[in-house]
Amino acid sequence: MGVTVLQQFPVPENKTGTYVIEMLSKRILALGATQQGQFLVDCESYLSHPQMGTTKTVHILHNSEQPASVFSILESGNKNIHVIADGLFDLFMIKLSQHYTSKKQTKIESKGPRFELGDFCIKLGSVTMNQSFKGILIEVEYRPCVTANAVWGLLREFLQGLLGSSTVIQPPQHLKNRMSEIYTPIDTVHQYLELFSAYRKTTALRVQ
Amino acid sequence: MNPSINVEQLNSALTSLRTLRSSVSQVFEALSNGLRADHGEDGKEKFLLELQELLNNVNINLRDLEQTTNGLPIPTGSFNLGNTTYLSQETTQDRQALYTQLVNSYKWTDKVHEYSSFAHSILSQNSLRRSYANSGSTKRRGKLQSNHNVPPGQVDNVINTIDRSYTDMKITISRPYASNAVVQISLGHVLKAVVAFKGLLMEWVMVKGYGETLDLWNESRHNVFRKVTENAHAAMLHFYSPTLPELAVRSFMTWLHSYVNLFSEACKRCGCHLHHTSLLPPAWRDFRTLEPFHDECKQ
Amino acid sequence: MSAANAAPITATDSLTQALKANIIPNQEYLLQGSVLDSAVEVLLHRLRGLCDNVDAGPETFDDQEVCFSLRDPNQQAAPLMLRVRKALDARDMPFQLRYIGQPDLGDKNRPTVVRSSLDIACSGMLIEFLNELGCRIEFEYSVKGYMFRKGRMKITVAKVFKISQSAMPPEPISQSYLVELSVLAPTGQDAIAEDMRAFADQLRPLVQLDKIDYKRLGHMPS
Repeated sequence: MGVTVLQQFPVPENKTGTYVIEMLSKRILALGATQQGQFLVDCESYLSHPQMGTTKTVHILHNSEQPASVFSILESGNKNIHVIADGLFDLFMIKLSQHYTSKKQTKIESKGPRFELGDFCIKLGSVTMNQSFKGILIEVEYRPCVTANAVWGLLREFLQGLLGSSTVIQPPQHLKNRMSEIYTPIDTVHQYLELFSAYRKTTALRVQ
Repeated sequence: MNPSINVEQLNSALTSLRTLRSSVSQVFEALSNGLRADHGEDGKEKFLLELQELLNNVNINLRDLEQTTNGLPIPTGSFNLGNTTYLSQETTQDRQALYTQLVNSYKWTDKVHEYSSFAHSILSQNSLRRSYANSGSTKRRGKLQSNHNVPPGQVDNVINTIDRSYTDMKITISRPYASNAVVQISLGHVLKAVVAFKGLLMEWVMVKGYGETLDLWNESRHNVFRKVTENAHAAMLHFYSPTLPELAVRSFMTWLHSYVNLFSEACKRCGCHLHHTSLLPPAWRDFRTLEPFHDECKQ
Repeated sequence: MSAANAAPITATDSLTQALKANIIPNQEYLLQGSVLDSAVEVLLHRLRGLCDNVDAGPETFDDQEVCFSLRDPNQQAAPLMLRVRKALDARDMPFQLRYIGQPDLGDKNRPTVVRSSLDIACSGMLIEFLNELGCRIEFEYSVKGYMFRKGRMKITVAKVFKISQSAMPPEPISQSYLVELSVLAPTGQDAIAEDMRAFADQLRPLVQLDKIDYKRLGHMPS
């Protein structure tokens, strides 16, 4: 697992999400990338029962890059505790349905094509929540390197070349505190959760 | 004191023993076949005549055997059978598996012989030699000797000194192939390398990423580390010095250590991290200045 | 080309498919018994003769188990029991989170205890996660012994110890070894219970493996 960075790509006013994805795909394919299937990252959240004290949220995320794992992040106050489990963890959450109820309407996912270009892996995701389109998320992974601070300059150069020099590239919030640690898949999941939580609060955009 | 064993006498004794055995088995064969078609009408008489002849043969052979064995000296004391004494310990041939083992080791030595002769004919066509091996001629005593054939202790010392001089480069030595060292190097969180030595001469380098399993033969999954391996081989040949092998190893290690900034430094010539066509970071390090360059940008 | 680029199947979809196909092992069939310390060697010998995985000696294990309970907010249903097991002799292995349901009372003639159980491998900060989730620690203990396997059946012969706070060696809670014979299987495969009963009969009279009626043991968490 190499260092991965998520960036939001703004959708211009008079354009649709599908148009933007197609334009970016053409750009990436022109650089020499090959498409290697599709990817899917989804997130479902469970809220604790009010009688159990302060409200806690359990987010369950799946990433098609690690198909046999289920990522679970518990938010309580300003504490974030994560657990990585195997596929049966979903059934376990169903058993906990008395204590933690799922908010089905906030189920959010990012889905789209996946490209490989040299040592890079690029994913263009359309974010949808309950069939309504929310935005575009681009995920870029540089596989050979496992520490963020060593590779940040390189990633920024690549992203600027890909997205155009008008977009501002910032290191993701989650990574800012752990630039010198070994990067693991849960860090990617944290980044998705941050951006999904932001998307949940915005209104829907036009798709077609 | 054993009288000296005369091999020829023994051989003739063994031959006469064998002829005796074959004539005895002929007797039994004739008896078991009984009357045959070509005995004709006076079958019984011819059969008996044949039998008598065979028995006479047996007698002659027996006398021959007695003569030859009488001439053999009687050994005093016991024979030193060496390892062959163990052959008598397990009487059942099947349980010994001796035959299959013998066949396998014969096949193996045969193959080794064949392959080494092929290798010799191919490798001798390469005129670029790194060691000055005297080709048998005594006239060339004044020629430079390559002195990288040093005892393992000295190799260990050289490598340990290099290990101590760099804090972010961890070096471990192992010897899986007899006395030649195989050195594993771990450079910060950037890369891992394994170098195979012959004495103090570096023979093979493989560079892989931090998260990969390290072995001598499998290439890295990442293009950048495959490029670094190629460059490392070039460096290994560049730094080769037959008269100062320690300096060669030290220079190579210094050069390899400069890769600690593989992802964080941009190319000195074009100023970018990634080259615009190959999308690789600067994987070349200049041999003198240790500055990073892209493969395509190096002067 | 299009098949390789098809959208990946979501995790919930694959889970519902697996549930429909009845391949998820979510039930445990269990028989338990005990054998005194003095008699355990003979039992181990007999198990070595009967079981599969004993080429290089029986497999040993050394685990620590912590039991949590999660109370129902409405105070209606019984509290949820969860167990977390970690291997003390193999620190790199993930934790095992186990949800164990109430035993299925149903048929008195069933040869074994049947209860729903989910075994999930976890890594990360599982204990803190469960604490934040609202679970309370009920008790903990450590267990050390041997594990045998025969086909799908797992047999453990282990000694249960109290967790010692100081550096003293852990203290056993009894002079005997706990023997458990269990199988994890999807629902509806009751034939395996018969096989288990047959195997348990082969271990008599060294150890009697039976269903334990937990209700009769008093209201202790099972």
